[in-house]
Amino acid sequence: MKTKSVRAQVATLFAAKKSKSDPAISQATRRFGLRLSLLTAAVALAPALAPARINVVALPGRDTVQLTIYNSADLTLVKETRVLTLRRGLNKLEFSWANTLIDPTSVEFRPLTHADAVDVLDISFPPRVTNTLEWRIHSDFAGEVQVEIRYFTSGITWSADYVVEAARDEKTMALAGNVRVNNQSGEDYENAQVRLVVGVIRLVEDIAQLARQGRPGTLLPTSAPVSAVGGEFYARRALALKDASEAFDKLENRPREIIKEGVSEYFLYTVAGRDTIPTGWSKRLPSFQTPTVPITSYYKYEKERWGDRVQRFYRFTNSVPSRLGREPLPDGAVKAFRLVTDDHLYGFVGSTSVKYIPINETVEMELGSDPEVLVKPKLTNWVKTDLAFDNNGNVKGWTTKETWEIEVQNSKDLDVVLDVRRNFPGDWALTTDARFEKVDANKVKFVLPLKSRAQQTFNYEVTTRQGTNATR
Amino acid sequence: MKLPFLVLAALTVATPAPARVKLVALPERARVVVALTHPEATLVEEERILTLQPGVNQVDFSWRDVNIDGASIQFRALTSPDEVVVLNTSYPPNENALVWAISSPAAREERVRISYLLAGLSRDVVYKAVAEPDERTLTLRSYLRLRNDSGEDLPDAELGIGYGANLRKSLAHEEVLEMLSERIPDLPIKKVLTWDAARQPWDPEYEKKTVGLPLAYVLKNDRDSKLGEHTLLPGKVRLFIKTKDQPEKEGGPPGEGVAFTGEDWAGLTPVDRELKLSLGQSRDVKVVQRRTKNDRTDIRRNTANQDVLWNTDEIYQIEIENFKKAPTDLVLVEHVPGYWRMVENSHPRQFEKKDAFTFEYHLTLPPETNGTNKTTVTFNLQRLNVQGNEPAAY
Repeated sequence: MKTKSVRAQVATLFAAKKSKSDPAISQATRRFGLRLSLLTAAVALAPALAPARINVVALPGRDTVQLTIYNSADLTLVKETRVLTLRRGLNKLEFSWANTLIDPTSVEFRPLTHADAVDVLDISFPPRVTNTLEWRIHSDFAGEVQVEIRYFTSGITWSADYVVEAARDEKTMALAGNVRVNNQSGEDYENAQVRLVVGVIRLVEDIAQLARQGRPGTLLPTSAPVSAVGGEFYARRALALKDASEAFDKLENRPREIIKEGVSEYFLYTVAGRDTIPTGWSKRLPSFQTPTVPITSYYKYEKERWGDRVQRFYRFTNSVPSRLGREPLPDGAVKAFRLVTDDHLYGFVGSTSVKYIPINETVEMELGSDPEVLVKPKLTNWVKTDLAFDNNGNVKGWTTKETWEIEVQNSKDLDVVLDVRRNFPGDWALTTDARFEKVDANKVKFVLPLKSRAQQTFNYEVTTRQGTNATR
Repeated sequence: MKLPFLVLAALTVATPAPARVKLVALPERARVVVALTHPEATLVEEERILTLQPGVNQVDFSWRDVNIDGASIQFRALTSPDEVVVLNTSYPPNENALVWAISSPAAREERVRISYLLAGLSRDVVYKAVAEPDERTLTLRSYLRLRNDSGEDLPDAELGIGYGANLRKSLAHEEVLEMLSERIPDLPIKKVLTWDAARQPWDPEYEKKTVGLPLAYVLKNDRDSKLGEHTLLPGKVRLFIKTKDQPEKEGGPPGEGVAFTGEDWAGLTPVDRELKLSLGQSRDVKVVQRRTKNDRTDIRRNTANQDVLWNTDEIYQIEIENFKKAPTDLVLVEHVPGYWRMVENSHPRQFEKKDAFTFEYHLTLPPETNGTNKTTVTFNLQRLNVQGNEPAAY
């Protein structure tokens, strides 16, 4: 690193990088991103009010950058390391950003080397300037210091998605999980280590709103980050695709491993290796691929919920016996296909989304209605009895008895399990030879396996005590 | 021609960054399969032969003016699925495109399958049925009508509709293509007239026009009817009947023609279920229904002398005249709300309780049974514990 002794306001990070980066990329990124300059003042030897001798140091780029991206809030924790050359005495370090979504209240500075000799005295957000702060740093050490700069940014999000490939008999599926990182932050992050947090955090202020303020406690007009267009696009495209070639240089020609670990109430996914995600781009990485996860092709009927249509579900458990269960599965979109021919052509089953799935939880992926499974409830008899009268001779209580016949039919080539739910308001009693399970005070379910191309019926009587006949 | 553009850009081995990108010629689609089995989504699967180089290859898939659901795109290697793997997928901003980073251990030609959901490709099923003059059988043709507004041309595509063999057709953007998918001759049908007490006037004498009875063909989706292989999909049915046309030459044999008798929407009909197709009215059967007794009994009154609970004793008489020279099937539909019981019934074998509040008589009227020789149905029912707010449906 070269130290220049010139009077100047700012030396840009990207200008410093220019010599070793693609000129097109540097050109493209100049309008965006962070600027960091170090104004080193040897104030220790100067009178208090005398103008300080100020040195501006052209800084190297980030040595490392780590992104910790949350999916429950528009929040990413950026941690970067850089090497600064400090003078003994007071050093001023200016950190500015433009067209990005950095929360100015979150920016932190921490020396990683010579930590005992380097102190941050204060942080100034200069007047009439936005998106800029200045650290006043006292150093007892002269020379290179590795520092860490941390801040929150909004505009980087991640999401999980899943691809289900059900076997032809719908008894198993191959489940592939992916994570997709979307960078709309206004800042390019090259060769970043990416960590993804699965969990819900509490925020009392919106990071994007704080970012738009430009400085703590200031309300400014909204300005969205600038997206890449025109000639810049191609530079970013080269940037986006660069790491694939680098991956090959390192013989990383297998999908990146995503290391999962539990931290408190959260789960942390760390993508092995480094990734480059320019602003405006998103990148999808395979997270896991599990063949032959047992599933049940499960159908539900509940008139109050879905009308006359029978809904199709794939049910599975996020457990070790199901070849999963190593970590919770984050919420995400699901595309479900079924292998329908010997040469593995797909049939589209449906799109859905799954909620967060803890380890050992059984989940149902709702995949839309299926006209091939039919449920036809029929009220075959209705009786009103046990009339009771009040002192004025008006009816105050009565009891109805409904006889129902439920006809079910599976026109598919596959066996299915059918869950028929019926709701009974009031003081009811059920009589039936069919097996049922009470779901809650007013709901029962009849679960029956139904062979391919099979029809069957079951019956029940429900007696409901009305008015003063009701006892509960 | 609007097609998804597939560009293969293969990175050379051990390329220093930034990579030198070499574009390889666009591979043609080797196969296109369109699955029309899902009622709400069309799945397109296309196969292409990619020439991969050892290392990481970038395959750029982009589309323009084509209604592809970008989130649905799947890539599968078919030749060497264990060795050719997708490392990641990059999505550029403001563009319908993605870039797969695909690893291959060696230079090879790899057959790959790209699957995606395509909007704008609609499917209708259309039926045409020609009944024999005796209306006991008909020939049913089902047609698949495809309307391609997807933006994508589908040359020589295999079209799957969920049953039978795939159809191989070419379907251009903005083309509508109708093709015969099934033809069932000699399909047995039942011609049925329906008189519904809730829909038809009870006494035609009070009507200015002749009362027509709704007429329907009923067919069953089962093996006895040469169907029963799959669910019949909903669609419009146009019904015709065979006629004898005037001979070409005087004294010659009559020609064969058809007459249009009506059309209806066929509902989704699973296997072993009946499909009822309404096709107009018959005015050769006359039904007169009268309630000859309607008494309240066992009346209970409150202290204000208002009726709060009662039973009824009701007698109905239905007179039916068939002016046709052929026997005719007629269904009488009756509706009774609340709690009731049948006391007396002239046609117990033709009686069928459909549900708690509906019953039917399924009659076969002999030919020319009218005037003094009409068919008469009577029934006596009692409604019990009536309060005036009885349920009539569920």
